[in-house]
Amino acid sequence: MRIASTGHHRTLVSRRIPLRMRLRPHPGTLLLLPALAAALGLAGCAAPAPAIKVTAPGFGQNATGVVQFWDRNTTAPFGQLLVNRFNATHKNLKVVLTPVQDTQYVTKLATAIRAGSPPDLVGIDDINSTLFIYHKVFTDLTPLVNALPEKNKLSPGALNLTTENGHYYGTPYVADMSVLWYNKALFRRAGLDPNKPPATYAEILSDARKIKALGHGIYGFAFAGRCEGCLGFTILPDIWATKTYLLYGRPGSERAFIAGNVPLRQTLTVYQQLWAEHLSDPESRVETGATWGQNFLAGKIGMMALGYGPIAPAPATFLAQVGVTLLPAPDGGASATFDGGANFGIPTGSRNPSGAWEFVKFALQQTQQSLAPSAGFEPIRSDVATPAFRAKYPFVATMLAGLSRGYAPKTIAYNTTFNQPGGPWLNMFTEAVFDGKVEAAIHTGQGGFTTALDLAKS
Amino acid sequence: MAQPTVAKQRAASLGPVGAARSKRRKAGVVLQPKVGMLLVAPAFLFVAVFVLFPLAFAIYISLTNWPLIGPYHFAGLHNYAALGKDPGFLHSVLFTLLYTGIVTIPILAVGYGLAVLVRSNRRGAVFLRTAFFLPYVVGLSTLSYIVLLELQPNSGAVNFVLAKLHLTNGGTTWLVNTNLALAATCVLVIWFASGLTMVLLIGGMQSISGDLYESADVEGASWLDKERYITLPLLRPTIALSLIISIIGSFLAFNQFFILTQGGPGTSTFTVVMWIYQTAFVQLHVGAATAMSLVLVAVVGLISAVQFLLLRENT
Repeated sequence: MRIASTGHHRTLVSRRIPLRMRLRPHPGTLLLLPALAAALGLAGCAAPAPAIKVTAPGFGQNATGVVQFWDRNTTAPFGQLLVNRFNATHKNLKVVLTPVQDTQYVTKLATAIRAGSPPDLVGIDDINSTLFIYHKVFTDLTPLVNALPEKNKLSPGALNLTTENGHYYGTPYVADMSVLWYNKALFRRAGLDPNKPPATYAEILSDARKIKALGHGIYGFAFAGRCEGCLGFTILPDIWATKTYLLYGRPGSERAFIAGNVPLRQTLTVYQQLWAEHLSDPESRVETGATWGQNFLAGKIGMMALGYGPIAPAPATFLAQVGVTLLPAPDGGASATFDGGANFGIPTGSRNPSGAWEFVKFALQQTQQSLAPSAGFEPIRSDVATPAFRAKYPFVATMLAGLSRGYAPKTIAYNTTFNQPGGPWLNMFTEAVFDGKVEAAIHTGQGGFTTALDLAKS
Repeated sequence: MAQPTVAKQRAASLGPVGAARSKRRKAGVVLQPKVGMLLVAPAFLFVAVFVLFPLAFAIYISLTNWPLIGPYHFAGLHNYAALGKDPGFLHSVLFTLLYTGIVTIPILAVGYGLAVLVRSNRRGAVFLRTAFFLPYVVGLSTLSYIVLLELQPNSGAVNFVLAKLHLTNGGTTWLVNTNLALAATCVLVIWFASGLTMVLLIGGMQSISGDLYESADVEGASWLDKERYITLPLLRPTIALSLIISIIGSFLAFNQFFILTQGGPGTSTFTVVMWIYQTAFVQLHVGAATAMSLVLVAVVGLISAVQFLLLRENT
């Protein structure tokens, strides 16, 4: 009777079972409980790591053991170069580099920090370093940075991204600056002065028209219209050159300045003109960044804003006909560059912070930084541009001259505003440039940026 | 005097041998739960570690504001309540439903057609089966990258062919127009997934007894009659399986849109999973993204259950 399946019998059985027994959970439920307990236990791993005493005697000197160094895939070739040289000269301290895919870097690092097992040293996209500093998971290195002999020669824009309330939570590592490249051969064919790159939007338009007139699939300009990151990297410095910004305020309290931003309107307008007048390569509409710069390297584009990386592997014959200049302000008179690249940071849970700092000091040395162009990057210190360096890397030397004019927004919302597919930056650019609705795009953009900032702060 | 139990009465009626067998059976009944638990323990442990624990952890995370970086706090059902007010999430749900509605029947129809074409053992059937199944083997990500290149204006093969046929000027920007991008992605997915449906249906078709078709031939049934009255009814469980796999796959669509459209233009081609990814790894709101994931799991489970009930063999 007790195993009968009718509801009536189940009721009878339950009445006979003592209350203590009735409260006993079903075995299946019991088995779920350890899982939940384990889950809650793991959740407790979020406790902050103890602070690292960087002022301890001997910190960063003659350290021993192993330093686990996470570097982005993009910058890892340079990182590996430094690691090889460091390990060859340091017998008791070894640095082990782990390349991490760029798109997964923030996620993996955040997960490692939360789990209490971060690497000892990180080479992080400098634009993302603010996010980690804001959440206080990088070590305060202020006394160490202040003691660096090369402190005043470091990229001010990149160094600014490591600061919070006057404290340094990292150092620049390697630079990746955006500049305007132009094809001197096409300039000559179009009757333009190959030694006079455009310095205003009006000149960019005028030069692009003359180059487009050459025909044969040659265009005056090109850009990556579906790559929000590429667009931010190459377009925002035009606006910053006028000392106007799209985001204002401290990290966590950012405000968007879109509506009424005159340089922004000028920038969107000139790109809209370049597109509407067919002065720009049609592939600009669909370029996701996957083949970014390939059309310029093919010699079919007159001007294109890029970093040094895509240009570096080009054959010498092509490089001989290329010129470079900083990105001009809409009305000229000023120029700027995006202070991209990577910053060093020592997570608060680092097991060998002393060894990590010893490697950082080594990596910042002039000799090591002068190797950056061989990996497609620029040094983060201006004094690297010696005569020998200028002779070997003339483009990078020109770029380094603009290091002091570099900027990158110090915000926790760069990803949600500028780097997000379908985010407000790309939407605004698309509507303004490809749909030809500059004013409407700016109006919508103000709301989109505000929403994205709220989202980042929530 | 106590009444004899049913077992004892039965044992008595069976004699000494029957009583012993009954005793063992009784003993077996007593031991069965423990032995059973022991036998399923390894499998259960596996499920507990890789399914139950992550699920419980996910439920916990979904009840917090869990950011990717920094401290978190308990948020109750806030993440779930906020889903209904998140226009991005709601749009992605609608888009995913639209996409699922568009591709499901064509995948089944094309898969069925291919299965009919290659189910016999005539010459070339094996080659055709391999050819039709090949896209599935190559993988959706690889195919998406191929299509991405071939849809490029002025340089992709699709635009080249269309221009040669004088249908377009060769400069169609397929992936920056919502309708064109959706159409291109649907064609890609139908091409990709119908091969799997074909393989599943061939398995089902080959398990149908040939006697039925011979009887139908004797009765003078046409090809269409045989498909309608023999093949389709007997394939019902296989069709149900194909549909469930197809619909779940469509609900979880990510790769093809991530590679081809990146959710654009704007957010018009964001699928639910893409929105979850974006929420977790771009906006860094893991708690909210986990709540979305759990809702998606529940919806997919519910749809699968309903579908299974509707298409099961005995209905």
